[in-house]
Amino acid sequence: MRLFTVVLLAFVFIIPVKANTIYQLIKIPNLEIYELETQNKLKYFYASKPFRLGVQKNIVCFNSDRKILDQKYQLINKNLNRYSANFLKKINLKYIVLCENLSISEINTAGIPDNIMKTLILDVKFNENYFERVIHHEVFHVINDSYKSFFNEEEWIKFNNKNFTYAECSTCSKRLGLDTYKNTEGFLTEYSKSTASEDMAEVFSHLMLKIKKSKFDPILQKKITFIRNNILKIDNNFKF
Amino acid sequence: MIKKIKASQSEKVILLFLILLGFFVIASFVVIKDKCLFVKNHNPKKINFKNPENIAILNVPCGNVIIELYPNISPNAVIRFKTLIKSNAYDNVAFHRVIKNKLVQAGDLEFGEKNKLDYGKIGTGKSGLGTILSELDGEFKYTKGSVGLARTFKNDTEDSQFFITLQDEPLFEGEYTPVGKVIYGLQVLKKLKYLDNSEYVLRPDFINTFKMFN
Repeated sequence: MRLFTVVLLAFVFIIPVKANTIYQLIKIPNLEIYELETQNKLKYFYASKPFRLGVQKNIVCFNSDRKILDQKYQLINKNLNRYSANFLKKINLKYIVLCENLSISEINTAGIPDNIMKTLILDVKFNENYFERVIHHEVFHVINDSYKSFFNEEEWIKFNNKNFTYAECSTCSKRLGLDTYKNTEGFLTEYSKSTASEDMAEVFSHLMLKIKKSKFDPILQKKITFIRNNILKIDNNFKF
Repeated sequence: MIKKIKASQSEKVILLFLILLGFFVIASFVVIKDKCLFVKNHNPKKINFKNPENIAILNVPCGNVIIELYPNISPNAVIRFKTLIKSNAYDNVAFHRVIKNKLVQAGDLEFGEKNKLDYGKIGTGKSGLGTILSELDGEFKYTKGSVGLARTFKNDTEDSQFFITLQDEPLFEGEYTPVGKVIYGLQVLKKLKYLDNSEYVLRPDFINTFKMFN
């Protein structure tokens, strides 16, 4: 026991001081402040060097050119400013990390939400065609993680045709297309068909971008009502 | 008969040099030994406070740190802080976490007391009064000298540990419950013992006393 204490103490006192406040707050290394003074109190950081995260260090993201960051920040800020400080507090989102070529286990991804750490990592180089929509898609995952009981997947699955099944996980399916269908048939994109939570996120992100369809099919109408009602349960003043 | 030998010019110079050297050695030893030598110690009795009921005097090895508490910003946290101060709970408790020019942290009443210091557990101790809810909604700028309650990784786990920032920390806003600000004596805290390679301090400095002004 004495030996254990000595080893533990030796370990504690030889750890170099990491007086990095950002790391202490969100446990992501190599970040610097991009912008702190925003209207909805979101704090923006950027990767100054590549970083790896996760128990298996399987989440990787790289630093980006300042020019790209500045360009994309305008777009991201414009979209995220649509969420009030009060709403962001309710869903536990406070920090936005900007980096490029974000991947999990070598699979590229647009964003990684983490409502426990109040953080959303965004890939600033994600496909331009869907970039703005993807921001809201990832925000929905933060909302969903914070209010699991509101977004009941079993209830959601019942909206679909009985013969339809989602994949086991979003990355274990080849349904990755993000183009909005002309003929929806219950789903807005191919990616909507991957899992229930991705389907919800796609509906939410389309609502946020006000992508109007002259006529939504009845399944999609139900899904839209479900998302709207539950978001309003979180914040009655929420504006789509 | 003893012959008087006059010191030569060069011998006089050497003697003068040795005297001066001795003086500087003694003087520098005193200066180096006394880390508090050039630190101003503020006497709270000579200061007029607007809200004397919210003034707390933290006495540490180099002098007094005078803190104004903000009950209008964090009412419950200030009540907890005052309760512990008034019961002398912080006396002889270690500054167990000191990061040079960044922050100092103290207030582990369970494992940080002078005679019961437990290096293996310091920073995890409790007060016995239970935790309180975080108060993060008030407008408070974490500028240099801000005093906040420490917590675990989760909100609503504030207890007795507190920290004082030695530099502006805007990222602390909305993260840590503020309780007040140092209005005099921040320099005193910069003299607390720290290590270059660890946030946690071996043989740390201790709070002498922590009292309310009134």
